[in-house]
Amino acid sequence: MEHSIFVDIAFLLLAVLAVVAGWRVFRTDSMVRASFFLLVSFIAVGAIMMLLAAEYLGVAMFFMMAVEMMVMALFMVMFMMNPAGLNPMMMVHQHRLSIIAGAVAFFILAAMALFSSFPADPLPAGLDPVRSLGHEMLGDSMLIFESAGIVLLATMIGVVVLSSHRGRYGAAEEGSVPPGLEPGGDPAGQPEKGESEGGHEHHHHHH
Amino acid sequence: MIESLASLLMVLVVLALGPYVVAVMDRLVATAPRGALASDVWLGPLSRAAWLLTQHANATEAPDWQAWRLAPALYLALAAVGLALVPWSPTLIATDLVTSVVLWGSVEALATVVIFLHGWSANAVLPLIGAYRYVALGLSYILISMFVLIGAALPAESLQLTQVVASQESLWNVVRQPLGLPLFLVVGLGLTFWGPLNLADSTDLAGGTAAEVSGPSRLVWECARAVMLVAFSGIAATAFLGGWLGPWLPGPVWVLLKTLFVLALLLWLGQWLPRVAPERCVTLMWIVLLPLSFVDLVWAGVLALWA
Repeated sequence: MEHSIFVDIAFLLLAVLAVVAGWRVFRTDSMVRASFFLLVSFIAVGAIMMLLAAEYLGVAMFFMMAVEMMVMALFMVMFMMNPAGLNPMMMVHQHRLSIIAGAVAFFILAAMALFSSFPADPLPAGLDPVRSLGHEMLGDSMLIFESAGIVLLATMIGVVVLSSHRGRYGAAEEGSVPPGLEPGGDPAGQPEKGESEGGHEHHHHHH
Repeated sequence: MIESLASLLMVLVVLALGPYVVAVMDRLVATAPRGALASDVWLGPLSRAAWLLTQHANATEAPDWQAWRLAPALYLALAAVGLALVPWSPTLIATDLVTSVVLWGSVEALATVVIFLHGWSANAVLPLIGAYRYVALGLSYILISMFVLIGAALPAESLQLTQVVASQESLWNVVRQPLGLPLFLVVGLGLTFWGPLNLADSTDLAGGTAAEVSGPSRLVWECARAVMLVAFSGIAATAFLGGWLGPWLPGPVWVLLKTLFVLALLLWLGQWLPRVAPERCVTLMWIVLLPLSFVDLVWAGVLALWA
């Protein structure tokens, strides 16, 4: 298919941006910065997909990766001992293994790029990428996409339930405790009174 | 060729004039109903801009300078992308992508990242709280917006904003899907953290993500918020008020009038609605507004099947 020189220039610039931003992910010293460098890399890839006439998937890449990287940055900051993500930290670990894995992956991908023969299918005239993607997703691939969709939905509902302040036994800020095993009894599943109050050493002295 | 240049020019003109128009309209909306116009309606925004421009730029301890200086410009760039998606007529449009509705959704999602970056990179407590607050709320805005916009795209059977306008030839979406525009207006106030939904840059955080920003980058941040509000109004006018459709006047004039109407409505809501506490706002979004957006989508789907 004929395309203008500007498409080639745009592709080269976006490809360089994707690779450089991907490299910066590992050279920066903060989890938040690393997440957003990865986002820049994905945005460049999404723009390349749009150059390849995948107009839905390219744009979907933008919003999916924006939300994903945002959530990833927050979760990494929440679960690691670096409250704001601004303190410097090393972003690479297990150097020798990583170097070997990186080199092997590079040579495999480079060999695939050099030695495989890519199909030269021109775009069919009147291609409607959104419609054809929709027919694919709700046609032959429906089972795969629907199962993945149900799993993702269940995960989302689970996360919302877990992060909601309304627990099974009352609101979190009011100190929720499970009900007793018999009506009006002590809360079930709690540690023994004696153990939790005195501790072992205290107990021992009294004997 | 001439039309694409003209549409680019439109985007640049709105980028340049938008902040001034928003500032003037906001002052008018705030003071006019009380019967007394503020004396600085016309010159006030300009003198504030000049004051910010000459102000000393504040520095915090070890900020992420690149991200801190870049975030306001990126937010402005996202607003410009939004403006480029608004069709002024069937042909006068800067970016007539077949997935322009989805691209607007991406603008909303990327705005979350940029607003977070603005608060995070200052390396100060109050901006950081504002940043986290926006992320917690931004997700619910994005979800509501997504369902409402899919509803608007259903009668058009297309994700292209020009097709969405064309599908409103017989009946505007604001009538066809009565829940759509009210829910989308909430998204607009949230996206620009304006008025009742200004929880990211709110006064209880001494200015939130912008608490430590002064000087030119503060000016860019405020302009970017205003332009985002204009871009949002343009998208709302396109998706729900029939865009360029209307009698007597040429299409671009209708788009301008409808955009100004939505803008005035948002500014009025911003001035006269009380601010919500962040925790109650999350509850309101997830318990009330998100289910309402499902109802809107089902409504739109049933109508589309019926038609």
